[in-house]
Amino acid sequence: MDIEFLSSTMVTLLKALPVTLALFALSVSIGCVLALVIVWMRVGGNRYLAGFAKGYIFVFRGSPLLIQMFLVFYGLAQFDFIRNGPLWPLLREPFVCAVLSLALCTAGYSAEIFRGGIRSVPPREIEAARAIGMSGFLLVRRIIAPIALRFALPAYSTEVVLMMKSTSLASLVTVWEVTGVAQRLISHTYRTMEVFLCAAIIYLVLNFIVLQAMALLEHFLSRHLRAAPPAAKA
Amino acid sequence: MPEVPRLSVRDIRKSFGAHEVLRGISLEARDGDVISVLGASGSGKSTFLRCINLLEVADSGEVWVDGEQIRMVQKGGRNRPASQKQVDHIRAELGMVFQSFNLWSHMTILQNVIEGPVHVLKRPRAECVEEAHALLKKVGIGDKANAYPAHLSGGQQQRAAIARALAMKPKLMLFDEPTSALDPELVGEVLRVMRALAEEGTTMLVVTHEMGFARNVSNRVAFMREGLVDSMGSPQEMFGAGASPAFRQFIGHFQA
Amino acid sequence: MTLAVTAVALLIGAVLGAIVAAAKLSGNRVLVFLGSVYTTIFRGVPELLIIYLIYFGGSSAVTAIGQAMGYEGFLGLPSFAAGALAVGIISGSYQAEVFRGAYLAVARGELEAASAIGMSRGLRFRRIIMPQVLRYALPGFGNVWQLSLKDSALISVTGLAELMRTSQVAAGSTRQYFLFFIVGGALYLILTSLSDQVFNRAERRANRSMPSAMGQV
Repeated sequence: MDIEFLSSTMVTLLKALPVTLALFALSVSIGCVLALVIVWMRVGGNRYLAGFAKGYIFVFRGSPLLIQMFLVFYGLAQFDFIRNGPLWPLLREPFVCAVLSLALCTAGYSAEIFRGGIRSVPPREIEAARAIGMSGFLLVRRIIAPIALRFALPAYSTEVVLMMKSTSLASLVTVWEVTGVAQRLISHTYRTMEVFLCAAIIYLVLNFIVLQAMALLEHFLSRHLRAAPPAAKA
Repeated sequence: MPEVPRLSVRDIRKSFGAHEVLRGISLEARDGDVISVLGASGSGKSTFLRCINLLEVADSGEVWVDGEQIRMVQKGGRNRPASQKQVDHIRAELGMVFQSFNLWSHMTILQNVIEGPVHVLKRPRAECVEEAHALLKKVGIGDKANAYPAHLSGGQQQRAAIARALAMKPKLMLFDEPTSALDPELVGEVLRVMRALAEEGTTMLVVTHEMGFARNVSNRVAFMREGLVDSMGSPQEMFGAGASPAFRQFIGHFQA
Repeated sequence: MTLAVTAVALLIGAVLGAIVAAAKLSGNRVLVFLGSVYTTIFRGVPELLIIYLIYFGGSSAVTAIGQAMGYEGFLGLPSFAAGALAVGIISGSYQAEVFRGAYLAVARGELEAASAIGMSRGLRFRRIIMPQVLRYALPGFGNVWQLSLKDSALISVTGLAELMRTSQVAAGSTRQYFLFFIVGGALYLILTSLSDQVFNRAERRANRSMPSAMGQV
């Protein structure tokens, strides 16, 4: 095995790591906020908003992310009102397009995951909150959201890992993140296996870190499910 | 000037589909009253209790709490509360204890107890914590403040739920079959707490199957049958010679 | 083309998934380790990278074999084969987990009951385990199909004229990017929602013997 080639490949790929991380962090956080808005529309009781949310989830979960990304990157540029609009300097950037489409897509998936979490909140605990005079936002904030979050977490951590992998698609709209750089290296050197190995290690380490963080959060949120503490503090 | 009743319910009616569960219930509770509501299952006792704090919305009838009427409106062909704000504020004045405790599983017992005072009544946290500890001690689980509900026995959970309701300093306590979900050996500890509350002068409305509690602790007993109050009176009257035939038959089942 | 790639990929994935699931359940430490490595790598690395690996790596392998057989020059791995193989390998890693979960869901007691009436190992597997594994695996299988359907769009990077690539070419030649990508997206939506319905129906059929509450698992 050619250690020198491997290490130089690794260095080249690691230089692209910040782009991958930025794509990941931005799209996951924007997508999460968006998902909250959508899930609120979905379960909020207003028929039209619920219909819109349903449609949104259907479209973004039902079609490939790549098409969505191309639609944003190539498709939007076709319209004059966007080219001349105030957002054009932003939308012209491949990076912004990639983040936008990643966020829109994960919002659809996450909204569905959050909805599953909300549906698994025991109705009795909600009733108990109503009985002491909670309603509306207070009820959501204090009772429904914390319980739903706990239930949604395992599925959500899977979704976050999928997002980490999805950032690789940004290379197809000319954002030079890890996979894009790897592809370029492969076509220059034809040493597929070595380049793949390096890139794979990077992604595996990233996903490992993400999963560990999520597991830690889950552990922290599951105190109430574990066996009683050995000595109860007074 | 006549005393304002703590709770006054007038002619409550409620149907689920074609089935009329409550067919015109009226009841009044004065300060310090402990009213036991008895009746076979399916007689509408729990529904009646839930109509008082609007966990179920009655089709018609009035509910007054401490002289304040809960305003209702007809909307979309159904009877609905006019103001969620008023409903919240009335509910905060009514403590409710559920059959299956309904403690919030993600919070410790202490957090369960201070949740309402801190977030609904918006009182200072330190003060609420202090009161919560006193309440937990009073119901006999002072050492469980930092445990989670899943770590407690049913009887302890129900006592914690009682402390949670008391922390709101309610004008009236509603108990919905508080001992029905408990193992027989745990019933006693919950009943003892309820008895102590009654002796302190807490106004209580208790839906129950515990004949001993109805007879010895409450000052009035209401017997519900087929969606109506069949008969009502002091325990002496109800369990004495002058009881209604239907009630006599009902308690006969318990003695058999 | 999209359907063909997905179907072939799923078939490859099913075979791989079954083998890997069997390896992970075998109890043999080496096999368990290899199985875990497989599922970790192919579920943890971007699909696109794996497609590159198969496409470029496969091509150089084919070229090497060609040279060994005295054939000069570069040989490309056919796009269809590369794509189906890549998506198949990925879906195999997901299917392995689906199969494993389904196998673990079969109640121990039922297996013991089968041995108790004297069923042989093979018979037990065929009569008791397989039907139940298939039933438990169906929802997960449906998810993997949807996943693979969407992954198949990535094969367009190898130049295979499937749905995605076709919309891309059409969009590029007419400059009507928006229109063609919308149409392409709509076709995928139709495919995914149709297959969703097929799976729902299959699930309902498979769950005939289950109490309704459990059918919702």
